[in-house]
Amino acid sequence: MSAGVIDLSLWQLALALLLVAAVAIVSIRQALGLERDLLLGSIRTIVQLYGVGLILAAVFAVARWYWVVLILVVMTGVATHAAVSRLPKPIPGAYGIAAVSLFVSTGATLAYVIGVVVQVRPWYEPQYIIPIAGMILGSSMTSAALAGDRLQGELRVRAAEVETRLALGFSGREAVQPLMRSALRAAMIPVVNGMMTVGLVQLPGMMTGQILAGSSPLLAIRYQIVVVFMQAAATALASLFFIRLIVDRYLTPAHQLRRYLL
Amino acid sequence: MNDPLFEVEHLSLAYPGRRGQRLAPILKDVSFTVERGNALTLVGPSGSGKSSLLRCLNRLEEPTAGTVRFDGRDIQALDPRRLRRGAALVMQTPVVFEGTVRDNLRLRPADVDGDLSEARLGQALVDVGLEGELLDRDAATLSGGEKQRVTIARALLGDPRALLLDEPTSALDPPNAALVVETVSRLREARGLSIVAVTHQPELVRRLGGMLLYLVKGEIQAYERVGDLDTRLQAFLAGERAAGVADVS
Ligand SMILES: Nc1ncnc2c1ncn2[C@@H]1O[C@H](COP(=O)(O)OP(=O)(O)O)[C@@H](O)[C@H]1O
Ligand SMILES: [Mg+2]
Repeated sequence: MSAGVIDLSLWQLALALLLVAAVAIVSIRQALGLERDLLLGSIRTIVQLYGVGLILAAVFAVARWYWVVLILVVMTGVATHAAVSRLPKPIPGAYGIAAVSLFVSTGATLAYVIGVVVQVRPWYEPQYIIPIAGMILGSSMTSAALAGDRLQGELRVRAAEVETRLALGFSGREAVQPLMRSALRAAMIPVVNGMMTVGLVQLPGMMTGQILAGSSPLLAIRYQIVVVFMQAAATALASLFFIRLIVDRYLTPAHQLRRYLL
Repeated sequence: MNDPLFEVEHLSLAYPGRRGQRLAPILKDVSFTVERGNALTLVGPSGSGKSSLLRCLNRLEEPTAGTVRFDGRDIQALDPRRLRRGAALVMQTPVVFEGTVRDNLRLRPADVDGDLSEARLGQALVDVGLEGELLDRDAATLSGGEKQRVTIARALLGDPRALLLDEPTSALDPPNAALVVETVSRLREARGLSIVAVTHQPELVRRLGGMLLYLVKGEIQAYERVGDLDTRLQAFLAGERAAGVADVS
């Protein structure tokens, strides 16, 4: 870390809390009824981030691979739960499917970024692998949830179209192909669009953090470029795996659509 | 005269309910046969399971009990894709895909071949009472009745041995309904096509001949030759006509 970073005292954090007080005043004045949630949200922000900070500090201090792996597993578990709970309609086996998709997409992207691109040695250096894994998991989770949401919507609206193709003798996979494509597009378009404006509208979080922490902007953008590309890869992989596995829950080996799941 | 194309024995169907709920019975112990080149008409009140029964015949639906044989073989032993090409289902609500009418008529799995020449496509349209020039029309711009006839033409282009029609005339005005009735009946005679049709149109029932199956709440109430229907069924069909309502379900 560079010497340029200004330390933040607890007093200064308390001053930041005044910003929330401003929100509370707006809420009360406009009768938005958000005060309770705002209070809870502020407390959770502080508690959750402090909790994570303490754990990370401990892991950084010992720097053992198994602690790092444990943290990655927990992170994947939380992301899995979040992705599944965002499915509009529960389906059997969704947890397993989400876990596999997130594990594969994150594992593959992470291995490439850590091992080949950034070349972190040792690979489990927590300072690198944990934030990078976090960003990859975040993208994987968001895109899986987005793709799953869209696929379920498409299946509900276009069930007759799917069955018409089945009735014409198409296989189950062929019959749902256009729906899968539209779900994949829905998941990937935000990422591709994001690549168009990255840096122009607002500085990405990671880059902001690095610059605040004293890195040169030119190094920060290099990392950010890696981050954008790895998030694109994670998005594509996660949504593809998720969609493929999910769609199979809706099809039987006899090329039937399980309408009761819609 | 005893040459069945479909043999259905003790067929039952239930939909899995929501979690924790029991199965909802749709069809109960249904048995019948459809002779090759002959017709079977399904009638019954809305929700009695007619559409579900058709869907069991081409295995879009998996029966909970009983057997369906197609051409002497249990359909469980057939590739469902081949079964569905042999027994073409035309759904009540027509689905046309993006593209022209031609694109829709040519739609079929890559591994299936067959004559899809312009002449044949045009003839298929004429057979269902549409103009051959319609081939270049964007299918989305067709009326409901035109869509319905395009889907019938699409099914016939696959050279099926059986046609499963779910209320094929419900979206048609009387002249076009009569035309489709005529086409379907002619094909049955000319090609030895077997037909299973859900319909409440007395003309179609009479013109198709064969057997009539009266379904109520998933159970067979009557299974009779169309030539000598008992008074109850005649009254049922007449009532449908008098009320002037096609079954809406
Ligand atoms: N996907 C489904 N899930 C649960 N019940 C269904 C489903 N589809 C149809 N049903 C029920 O099955 C019964 C028979 O439906 P259907 O075969 O469409 O009857 P019909 O064609 O004679 O009007 C109806 O009670 C209907 O509510
Ligand atoms: Mg019906």
